[in-house]
Amino acid sequence: MLVRLKRYWSYLAIAAVIAFFILIPFDWFLGRYTTLMIFIGIYTIVTVGLCLLMGYTGQVSLGQAAFFGMGAYVSAILSKTYGVNPWGAMIVAAVMTGAFAYIIGYPIFRLKGNYLAMATLGLGLIMWILFKELSQFTGGPDGMSGIPFLAIGGFIFDTSFRRYFLVWAFCLAVLLISQNIIGSRIGRALRAIHGSEAAAESIGINVTQFKVKILVLSAVLASLAGSLLVFNMNFVNPQTFDFMSSVKLVVMAVIGGLASIWGAVFGAGVTRLLSEELLVRFVGWDIVIYGLILVLIMIFMPDGLFVKLKEIFERLRLRYRQRGTEP
Amino acid sequence: MSSAQFVQYLISGITSGSVYALVGLGFTIIYAVTKIINFAQGEFVMLGGLLSFTLIHSAGLPAVPALILSIIIAAAIGAVMYLLAIRPAQKASVVSLIIITIGAAIFIRGIVGQELTKSFVRPPSFSGEESISFLGAHIDPQALWIIGTMVMVTIILHLFLTYTMVGKALKACAINPVASSLVGINPRTMALLAFVLASAVGGIGGVVLAPFTPMSYQSGVMLGLKGFVAAAIGGFRSPVAAVFGGLLLGIVESFAVAANWGPFTSAYKDAIALVVLLLILLVRSGKLAEEERAG
Amino acid sequence: MNETVILETKGLTKAFGGLIALDKVDLSLQAGKITAIIGPNGAGKTTLFNLIAGVYPVSSGQIYFQGKMLNKIPAHQRAAMGIVRTFQHVYLFGNMTVLENVMSGRHPRSSYGFLEAALRLPKARREEEASSLNAIKYLNLVGLGTHAEHDALSLPLGQQKLLAIARAMVTEPRLILLDEPGAGLNTLEKRQLSDLIRNIREMGISVILVEHDMPLVMGLAEWVIVLDSGQKIAEGTAAQVQKDPKVIAAYLGEDVE
Repeated sequence: MLVRLKRYWSYLAIAAVIAFFILIPFDWFLGRYTTLMIFIGIYTIVTVGLCLLMGYTGQVSLGQAAFFGMGAYVSAILSKTYGVNPWGAMIVAAVMTGAFAYIIGYPIFRLKGNYLAMATLGLGLIMWILFKELSQFTGGPDGMSGIPFLAIGGFIFDTSFRRYFLVWAFCLAVLLISQNIIGSRIGRALRAIHGSEAAAESIGINVTQFKVKILVLSAVLASLAGSLLVFNMNFVNPQTFDFMSSVKLVVMAVIGGLASIWGAVFGAGVTRLLSEELLVRFVGWDIVIYGLILVLIMIFMPDGLFVKLKEIFERLRLRYRQRGTEP
Repeated sequence: MSSAQFVQYLISGITSGSVYALVGLGFTIIYAVTKIINFAQGEFVMLGGLLSFTLIHSAGLPAVPALILSIIIAAAIGAVMYLLAIRPAQKASVVSLIIITIGAAIFIRGIVGQELTKSFVRPPSFSGEESISFLGAHIDPQALWIIGTMVMVTIILHLFLTYTMVGKALKACAINPVASSLVGINPRTMALLAFVLASAVGGIGGVVLAPFTPMSYQSGVMLGLKGFVAAAIGGFRSPVAAVFGGLLLGIVESFAVAANWGPFTSAYKDAIALVVLLLILLVRSGKLAEEERAG
Repeated sequence: MNETVILETKGLTKAFGGLIALDKVDLSLQAGKITAIIGPNGAGKTTLFNLIAGVYPVSSGQIYFQGKMLNKIPAHQRAAMGIVRTFQHVYLFGNMTVLENVMSGRHPRSSYGFLEAALRLPKARREEEASSLNAIKYLNLVGLGTHAEHDALSLPLGQQKLLAIARAMVTEPRLILLDEPGAGLNTLEKRQLSDLIRNIREMGISVILVEHDMPLVMGLAEWVIVLDSGQKIAEGTAAQVQKDPKVIAAYLGEDVE
């Protein structure tokens, strides 16, 4: 009886959350936050990829913005300059970015820890420089505008209302798929690699190949997010993909918890909210805050803020239940 | 290319290379003693430059005290960074430490940007602006200060590490932390010393560089990266190799821009360092893979 | 090639820079038997294991497993071939439960990929079911069935070692290499370990173990190989090896447990 009650409550909770999300873009509800939520959804997709990469293979990426930007620019160039259908552009961008990640994957993963981090930093910067300098293609430092919207037949995703659902449909799909992967033998292999690479090899896990696959996955996700970004803003600009952008992505992953999928929503949400609030009131203090967040979280809760909050919540729940059973 | 141009590019390369060498020295010192890559290394160079400018312009200090104070402040910030951000996380994973030093780097950068200035600054040159003629090339005297300072720092560092008790202790700690702790050398004190030294060296770099090339609160990123390349060439073990690496990078950069290969405008100059970085890492990864398997 | 030889090495040599860890070692190990490799510290026992497991490349010489040459085959492919090893320092997956640790051993025997995993296709679900049941079977074999949901690292060392063996067993090996399985165990645990190893042998799996505990070795091993300073100095039954003067000389000055 108690178990059934508990299950009803959790179904109710999930239904409430879903209802909340569905109602957000309505003007009479939280409509003015629609654009913010769209960005949170887009950045969640990148963050999930980054969490998978950093949390499960223990590799740091200080250049994830490179993949994010590749997706954005390839989509922008294909759809605006060459008139390719935006969906097709998105797919081509994802394939190109994934292939690029595959090519750099094997050499990169022969590096360890610090070297790897620096390599990703270097790659991120190289990409950013290319975005700025290859002006015939990318529009240079001013970027490109006039990028079309996504559309299905006659239904154009132009209003923020429609774009909200488009982005969050993608986001939800990404979250569920990632959840499935983590619970599967692939996820176990990833966690094994994180636990002990030597032992993982001994039971037949091709460690390097897995790391490359996850890098490719994170790159494809970042690329999808980048494409969604440009089809949302109709505009692309290299500043969105600079070093600080890669750092902000790491902040999102760290706040969410490096090995937590759903934490990515939390991480992206908190960080975007912070940057919206901070940008308005304390211009320029955002990077100070980010720096502080990174240092404090990695010292006191290296599994991520979200994960730590879950732990505290669990502990409180246990204590509450204990008190309940005492006469 | 005429011989005068050659000398010009060479000196230019050696000048920027000297700065990279100083940054690389900092990376090497910290890594050798603590096995940590301090991603904030570039920020100390930036601090040296911006602090010296602020002290001279806003605080009205005369040049020499301003320079010395800038270096001391940079070193102090390095110490504080170690004590507050690194030491509490001693047991952390490599990933965590990397993120921590990045966090510290952007924290420092942000504070400087907010509290000092966001624009490019250029303190006065040490000995005037008039260029010196040498083998047909025109050399900014500040460039000579930069090269000379790098040489001085390298020599003093070498003497320090080889002939003083503290220096030898530092070296011992770098070579074998366990054994040196057994003979009474405290690894945490050595780590603190390493951070102080590295940030001081970085600060010195910034102090001599800023009059030559204007710097802003964002300059630390590329400087840090290039210093890393310098240290990587040196394998993170040998200060002298880091110096060599820095000079090599500076010269390659200079001549690559001079040669004007294809799309290599000076905007791509930074990209050159990055490509060199990736090439080195590729080569090293091959060697690393060998070492790994040799267990 | 003799059908009952499971592992053979010819002139196996491994050098690390100037240090020769293994010097032209020739071995021919019978299938279905428990073979022990003993020798004083630094004799090259773990190096031998690491070469068989593929952790690093051979300097010269060949290794043959069931007649196939292993030299060029990367470490992670050897599990699928039927060679698995455990580690002296256990190396459990600390971020998983006991059950998940064992289930991960199923990796070389399951095959569904990213797509099936991402969409939870029936093939994935079936294989997960099978992996789970299989893992529980092996957990029960080592006596850890009741600990399935516990954190792997919450187990005491003796049970962690059993868990590591269960994980290795799940790969369905023909040959299992146990690296100092008895280290750090008390007498009772050592007895359980001996029983388990004999069980494994009964299942038709060949066992090679490196051990320092002489009574444990002598009670278990059907064949003993003695290494010293990278060379094989003796081999034979436990009784023969114990009386060999070269072996005694090698151990002189060593603290025997």
